[in-house]
Amino acid sequence: METVAPTAGRGPGFWAGLYCASVAILAALRITDAITAPVGLILFVGTMALLIPLVRSAERRGAAKGCMNPVIVRYNRRILTASMGYVLGLGIAIALWNTYDLTGPVVFAIALLPTLPTFAMIWAMGRYLVEEQDEYLRYRTVRAAIISLGLVLAIGIFWGFLEMFELVPHIWAWWVLPVWSVGLGVAQMWMKVRGE
Amino acid sequence: MNNRLKVLRAEQGWSQQDLADRLGVSRQSVNAIETGRYDPSLPLAFTIAEVFGLPIEAIFLKDGDPQ
Repeated sequence: METVAPTAGRGPGFWAGLYCASVAILAALRITDAITAPVGLILFVGTMALLIPLVRSAERRGAAKGCMNPVIVRYNRRILTASMGYVLGLGIAIALWNTYDLTGPVVFAIALLPTLPTFAMIWAMGRYLVEEQDEYLRYRTVRAAIISLGLVLAIGIFWGFLEMFELVPHIWAWWVLPVWSVGLGVAQMWMKVRGE
Repeated sequence: MNNRLKVLRAEQGWSQQDLADRLGVSRQSVNAIETGRYDPSLPLAFTIAEVFGLPIEAIFLKDGDPQ
């Protein structure tokens, strides 16, 4: 194993910690009604800006380790943009739903607000696999995606039967994406721990 | 599959990054191939052979073959 040159600036762990702390504080303020929903949304969208230095610091670290390329940078930009669109779309959709008595096609339209950015995330992942020229990096991503898919299927099926037998509450199907995303991260960490 | 990539690279005095640049892959990929964690595709194996000016079978060996 060759040594990796140290990188300038704060590491991704710092920005991730700051982001999580900010989200936790905002959630606490919102739960205790210290801030209204619109203020909470605006502050949460503002907090999303912390993801920019987080992604940049992760890219710097990746470059120092020799595993960064323009395709990964492009993928990160697309996911970041889609994530911000998701938070904004979800916030607006919930605000509209709570404020107005909506029915029919309007409900269909507001459901699309958070949905379309998630489609953009799926598209970004697909584009990454198409554009990535480094076969080892592509292999790692595909492997992590398949492991995570297995996790989603396992949890989804088990939860479905638990729900059917009225042991657990109902959860919305859109949870598959966050669960899959977390699974992707867990799979990559697991592969790293195993030295793959 | 075993390979002699690390030895051949050392003979050339190249770092993993130097070899990665010549192959057009990441340093991570070179590391994974050298340590036997990843077997390259046939096109990449041909490129590696080309970079070292050797036949593929002089670089990649079947499991159990003497190095």
